[in-house]
Amino acid sequence: MRTSLFLFAAATLTASVVSANSLIAPGPQAGIAKSRLGAKPDGEWNRLSRRDGKRVELWTLDGDALNKVVFFAGVPVGEPILREIDKKNRPLPKVAGNMLITDIPALLETTYRSQFAVNQMQIDSQEPALLSGNKGIKFTYSFMRADDEVQRKGEGVGAMVKGQLYLVIYEAPSLYFFDKDLEKFHKLAESLSLS
Amino acid sequence: MAAIALATPHPLPAAENKASLPPYTPAYEPTTVDERGLWMEADERERRLRDSPLRIREGKLETYLRDVLCREVGQDRCTGVRVYAMEIPSFNATMMPNGAMEVWSGLLLRARDEAELAAVLGHEFAHFELRHAVFGFKNRRGTSDAMAWLSVLGGISNTPVGDTNLSLIGSIYRFNREQETQADLLGLKYLAGAGYPAGSAARIWQSLMAEEDASALGRKQKVQQKYSAGFFDSHPATLMRATYLAKEAANWPSGGDARGKDYDAAIAPYLPRFLAAQIKRNDFGGSEYILQTLSDRSGWTGDLLYARAELHRGRGNPRDLQLASQFYRQAKDAGNTSAELDRNLGLALMRNGQADEGRAALTTYLTAHPDATDAKAINALLAN
Repeated sequence: MRTSLFLFAAATLTASVVSANSLIAPGPQAGIAKSRLGAKPDGEWNRLSRRDGKRVELWTLDGDALNKVVFFAGVPVGEPILREIDKKNRPLPKVAGNMLITDIPALLETTYRSQFAVNQMQIDSQEPALLSGNKGIKFTYSFMRADDEVQRKGEGVGAMVKGQLYLVIYEAPSLYFFDKDLEKFHKLAESLSLS
Repeated sequence: MAAIALATPHPLPAAENKASLPPYTPAYEPTTVDERGLWMEADERERRLRDSPLRIREGKLETYLRDVLCREVGQDRCTGVRVYAMEIPSFNATMMPNGAMEVWSGLLLRARDEAELAAVLGHEFAHFELRHAVFGFKNRRGTSDAMAWLSVLGGISNTPVGDTNLSLIGSIYRFNREQETQADLLGLKYLAGAGYPAGSAARIWQSLMAEEDASALGRKQKVQQKYSAGFFDSHPATLMRATYLAKEAANWPSGGDARGKDYDAAIAPYLPRFLAAQIKRNDFGGSEYILQTLSDRSGWTGDLLYARAELHRGRGNPRDLQLASQFYRQAKDAGNTSAELDRNLGLALMRNGQADEGRAALTTYLTAHPDATDAKAINALLAN
């Protein structure tokens, strides 16, 4: 019993050291993913300390497997949107300068297929949208990762601004979670701004 | 490893008696603790396979695959086998110790005739028949320990360990080199004994090597770096394998029927979606190689031209966009009726700065599909 308590304490301690996640309080947030991107959430979010890429920031409500918002902020031409796990065997597609708005969801899809062994993914709808006044795209998608085979849905808004990609996506399991927090994401997406 | 080989109850018959197969036990039940545990895991994994959204249920693909296996190893051996076709674009097939076989779509896209497919299925069946999984498992219990620890650490550090987990589970079913060689040789007996050309086993490995070269070239990497067996590499190096399989095949009478037409007919309904998944893998060289091998068989059909156009549009260099529009138009002439053809042609043209032609193609798309889910976005492109 004592040993297991000790192990539990050690694990908790390690957890607090390894994952220094932080609380996002309601109100203006500037410099998301160390970029010009800002937002004004009206509720609390958690920022994960994990970095999936140089220009990526992750927010979640209940943990990133259940709901997450990913900010890809200011990814320049020639760079992938996520950090490449296996550059040699599974290189990721790169942002290109001549991408059309419809190439933004396509880039997300090819990235996911390589990075997360996503073998089923489809872009469900695409329509024009503004990201802080810049012409861009709003799209919905659904996909399944090979590791948990959970059907997830996603929604994103993205634009190329001065040769850099800005893309903010919300993802959650189709069952219950996606609809539960979709409205919170919509409010967050409306509050996006570029300084 | 030598000990494992000695423990195998069905040592391969001597070379002079090449047609004899190991004794067959119908409705085998696991006996030892290790084997029962392994079967329990396999049963659980099979339940996941059975219910997986990736399983290709439509059409008669799974029936065809099972027929191929039965033709190859004989009705009595294949009776208890379940075959699951999975839509996963990598080259793979595995057979679990409980008799469930899993075949990935990537294998079906790459095999060039039924004999090449049978070569891989026969190899996997040989692992099953020789009960390799259980003889290797004892030595690999360490893997499971590592897996438990990785899950704990992953939970603490919030790192997704899913991928690691999967690859470690895979390693339970991975065999050592001696076992791979044994399975290769027994697989060859099934293959040639069933009247397929014995050289097919060597040919599929040669083709895989050529594809790897093409991938590496497409990614501007050095080619042929993988051909020597690494220390941790459980499979005999592909080159070595192709060589000894070719040598062994020479002992069999030449000829045989590769059943290429039956194979093409069975795969044809699935080809467009298998190709679409391959094109999205961000492997220009490898995908181009696969398209070339397919066109060697059928000529450049509408499906192949469309896939080739998609491949070039995906890479998106100016020369690619130029080629892509050309291939889309050829695909249309060759009878391809994909709903997205005009849209993608239009997008390739727009991206290449050919705005007027691009608008025309996008307009054709919208006229035919006014309620498409991307109609609003395409309209926005037209308005720009």
